[in-house]
Amino acid sequence: MTDASKPWANGKERRLSMARDQLHRASALLTLLLLIIGFALASPSFLSVNNGLTVLLQTSVIGLLGIGLTMVIITGGIDLSVGSVLALSGVVSAMAVKAGLPVIPAMCVGVLAGAACGAFNGFVITRLRIPPFVATLGMMLIARGMALQLTGATPISQLGAGFGRLGNGALFRVVEMQPNGFPRVIFPGIPYPAILLLIMAIAATYLLRRRQIGRHIYATGSNEEAARLSGVNVDWTKMYAYTMSGALAGLAGNVLMSRLVTAQPSEGVMYELDAIAAAVIGGASLSGGVGTIAGTMIGAFIIGILRNGLNMSGVSAFIQQIVIGLVVIGAVWIDQVRNRR
Amino acid sequence: MSLQPLVQMTDIEKNFGGVRAVDHVSVSLYPGEVVGLLGHNGAGKSCLMRILSGAMTPSSGEIRVNGEAVTFAEPNDARARGIETIYQTLALADHLDAPSNLFLGRELKTRFGNLDDAAMLRAAREVLARLNPNFTNLRDPVSSLSGGQRQVIAIARAIYFDTRILIMDEPTAALGPSETAMVADLIRKLQADGIGIFLVSHDIHDVFDLCDRVVVMNKGRVVGAHAITEVSKDDVLSLIVKGELPGGWTARPIEAAQ
Repeated sequence: MTDASKPWANGKERRLSMARDQLHRASALLTLLLLIIGFALASPSFLSVNNGLTVLLQTSVIGLLGIGLTMVIITGGIDLSVGSVLALSGVVSAMAVKAGLPVIPAMCVGVLAGAACGAFNGFVITRLRIPPFVATLGMMLIARGMALQLTGATPISQLGAGFGRLGNGALFRVVEMQPNGFPRVIFPGIPYPAILLLIMAIAATYLLRRRQIGRHIYATGSNEEAARLSGVNVDWTKMYAYTMSGALAGLAGNVLMSRLVTAQPSEGVMYELDAIAAAVIGGASLSGGVGTIAGTMIGAFIIGILRNGLNMSGVSAFIQQIVIGLVVIGAVWIDQVRNRR
Repeated sequence: MSLQPLVQMTDIEKNFGGVRAVDHVSVSLYPGEVVGLLGHNGAGKSCLMRILSGAMTPSSGEIRVNGEAVTFAEPNDARARGIETIYQTLALADHLDAPSNLFLGRELKTRFGNLDDAAMLRAAREVLARLNPNFTNLRDPVSSLSGGQRQVIAIARAIYFDTRILIMDEPTAALGPSETAMVADLIRKLQADGIGIFLVSHDIHDVFDLCDRVVVMNKGRVVGAHAITEVSKDDVLSLIVKGELPGGWTARPIEAAQ
């Protein structure tokens, strides 16, 4: 028995009792480790620092989308629009830069555009009573169409070095100038996108575990009618989740476009599926009420490492899709078998 | 009667499209009184209680609580007046544990606005132990608990928060004999505290055991309202099934029973 007067001790008690959750995460983590070992044996350059950073960068975008999707999935919903919202947000940020705004406010405008798309999703779902699948499918087309219309389907480039800092910069990077005038990276540092992902993951975990809105997100997905009868404002809770998902998609869009230093209106197609897969591999249940940010992060890295490792081993992009599809089905199947007993 | 009723519902009507689920129904509830609400499925008793608990808004009619006219747009409005409901479905969030369910919608928070899980656990442990001393697995999701334990959580949630009026919708339907006895004891205890209880039930024996008055509904209307001492089980059965007393007496209006 832990001391109930200490909130963290008591948090631990909760964690211990959520054994099923733990088991899933442990098995996902084990899968992740096996993948790393397997790919390391298959390709010696897989374990290099540079490749590690590449994986980190690639995963950060899916991870950010996955955090928002986890919240939405826990409420019992789905958000198919994040890939398109990501593109629209990046485009809006780039246009704001072109309009003369400094980089940071411009990116904030982009994130707000994403949040607005999410809020619109929430509005359609809670007020017009459209099922989330249909509502966000609509937004998927609307946001993509807007991104293409705003740019005339051409990428926005020459955004300046400042725009690229978020996606390409790193903390504690040590660079030495060589006599020949070329820089030499001594320590590549921790990429900003990875730091951003970590901060967002911790913030979202805190929100889901320690705040009332988080409790209500779980309650809404667990039993919507019960939550409503208990006095939970179910509509507001859903609005919150979808708006967060939109804002995080906007953030992911800025990270991605910043990395390319170009706003690509056609970027991010099918990213929503990777993000959903990450959440599901991480133990989130599409019927609601179940899911953790930690699980989704593991899921995102499983997908990121699978992609990267298969690439390094020279497996074609087509085969990669087949493999990831099978992994998603396998993960859900194992979970269901475990639940049935 | 000189006492002011806790609840006075007057001329309540509820229409769903062309269907009149509740047809000009008037009922009252006094402090310390248990009123049994009987009738077939679809007779309108659950619908009437959903209106009183704020889960449904009436098409017309008036609700007075302690003499004051009220309108309930959502369950929280009714709650604010001390009206708590134990739903037949129990209305529990299956993936959450007992304390989270107990405080769902009214979570305790720390100074910084964080969830105070420690305080909620302590309070839940205390109130649940009073209802069922064997309740120890407080941290398990409620989906893994037994029917009796789930019922205890739903009851605890309804009586924990300064309750004055309690609506119990089939509280013993899913329970074994010892748990049913526990609920009966609890009802008598609450009654002694001056809480008014509406007991919606199919079980005529429960109603005769526990209730002071019985209101029978049929096809959305009140077909009989009687003090439990002035009717027999056969009378009530006849009211439920045929909508009239044996021998075809017409139903007396509700006031006759008060």
